[in-house]
Amino acid sequence: MNQTPPSVFEPAIKTVSPFSLRRVMVIASSSVTQLVRMKTFYFLLAFAAIIVVLMSLNPPTTPAGVLSTIKRISFGTMDVFAWLFAIVSTALLIPKDIEDRTLYTILSKPVRRIEYLIGKLLGVLWVIAISLLVMYAVCALALWSRETLYIAEELEAMNADARYSAENVSAQIALIEQQGLRPELGIAVLASFLKAAVVASVTIFLSTFASSSLFSIIISVLVFIIGHAHTMATSFWLYQTDNSLFVQLLLKVVKIFIPNFQLYSFSHGIIQGEAVAYSLVWQMTGLTGVYLVVFLFLSLLVFIDKEF
Amino acid sequence: MSDLAVEVKNMTKVFSRGLKKSDYVVAVDNLSFDIKPGEVYGLIGPNGSGKSTTMKVVLGLMSPTKGDVKVFGYDSGDIRARNEIGFLPENPYFYKHLTGKETLKFYGKLCGFRGRELKDRIAELLELVDLESAANRRLGGYSKGMLQRIGLAQALIQRPRLVILDEPTAGVDPLGSRQIRDLILKLKDDGITVFLCSHLLEQVQEVCDRVGIIFEGRMRREGPLEELIQIEEQTAMTFSGAKPELLAKVRELIKADSGATIVEEGHPKTTLERLFVSLSHASNTDDKGDEK
Repeated sequence: MNQTPPSVFEPAIKTVSPFSLRRVMVIASSSVTQLVRMKTFYFLLAFAAIIVVLMSLNPPTTPAGVLSTIKRISFGTMDVFAWLFAIVSTALLIPKDIEDRTLYTILSKPVRRIEYLIGKLLGVLWVIAISLLVMYAVCALALWSRETLYIAEELEAMNADARYSAENVSAQIALIEQQGLRPELGIAVLASFLKAAVVASVTIFLSTFASSSLFSIIISVLVFIIGHAHTMATSFWLYQTDNSLFVQLLLKVVKIFIPNFQLYSFSHGIIQGEAVAYSLVWQMTGLTGVYLVVFLFLSLLVFIDKEF
Repeated sequence: MSDLAVEVKNMTKVFSRGLKKSDYVVAVDNLSFDIKPGEVYGLIGPNGSGKSTTMKVVLGLMSPTKGDVKVFGYDSGDIRARNEIGFLPENPYFYKHLTGKETLKFYGKLCGFRGRELKDRIAELLELVDLESAANRRLGGYSKGMLQRIGLAQALIQRPRLVILDEPTAGVDPLGSRQIRDLILKLKDDGITVFLCSHLLEQVQEVCDRVGIIFEGRMRREGPLEELIQIEEQTAMTFSGAKPELLAKVRELIKADSGATIVEEGHPKTTLERLFVSLSHASNTDDKGDEK
């Protein structure tokens, strides 16, 4: 039986799922495209330039010292990029959609506001993850090539010198390897990513009611800075009983509403070649999940009734 | 399921302007109207009359302070209502970094289309709005008319049963304006309900079945276009082959003169524009009277 093709305008009655991960991913991938076309990946070139400069330097120090310097500067750059990018891009995306009124056309489609918020957050995290992986790959390549070179040079030099025993050689190689490319460094990258995810969720929350991107950026940076003094503030709160009511209230606010970014600083030890405390990794991952849920929930509370 | 496309019942929207409870503005005041499926409904009014607020409430972008707004029986805030609506904003608010094709793909995917179905739908809509040659150009390089047409394609992507058009020809040249008018008429022919907000009264008169005139948040007149533009106290007669001298004694002579035929007799019509202006004046006079 021949079926006539539907008219261009023929209505199609479709069901709409209450929550759709597919819609979330559509918004996330659109945000990735937006950030990519805003040429945000240009900073990767800057990172590559830093690595090239580091590789060309020959400081008067031990091979382990050189490797440690490369790691500290590379991972420091990656960390700064991750949280700074999380704040700036998140603070720009939602207010820009509101200002340009693109949000009108998105929310007039069958899209829930929570799907939009999660999609935007995922888009930012997607770009951060890709960037961190690329930077880590560049850094790993640099470390590996230097480490291989140093080990070969040390072996050649020590084997040629009769004063060094096999144990001395092994100890020296182990020292270089400790500062070289190790799988644990991946956890340091994960820590930077999770920290950026929490900062992005805080910024999304601020963006839902902030009147400008600048406000969101400034407050997010402040929250980030204060979050690094979390343990100090908590100790002060716990052990000082003679604080004024104002100070006590302030400390309680810090304790409750400002994420503890010190949780993520254990990665400094990993970068320095220290052993990984896996219990801390689980604690960090779990708390990141809690922070994301809490800040997304707070964002939704503001955003759900927001009128455009 | 409701047999109405849009049902606005006693809708009031109040915006607070400050922290004080007394500091507020009533944008829409007890507004009621409905739109039947397949109808082209025009809402006209001056700037600040409450048109956009009404439209945003129907779209679910705002919730009413009082009253009910339903789209095909669903509350306007319900996601199922938005699945039935295609919306073309006044100034097409789209991502300028996307191409025309990518824009349709983005909105199509949001509406649940994918694969071959989405590809075919994009192709037919690009053809419909005559943008096939510009499909791979970024929207940043589109003219106003092209943006309006890609906006219309975007509005139609999920085959909505209701299309809301906010000033669809604002800033568009006469040719583009005519194309959009023809598209609205095509939508009407295919049974799609159209809710049109426009300042271009001539265009509203050309395409709308029913019209609502809104001032200061209140519906001043509403009904079928033909009824609205009738002048009740006047009668028009159209003659064929009538001699000039018959015009003076038209009714007495018409029966006696076998050479003249009455072709049409009825109510002469004004234009929507004249009605709009006269209502505007009447509204201003009423308000001054109230103040006194």
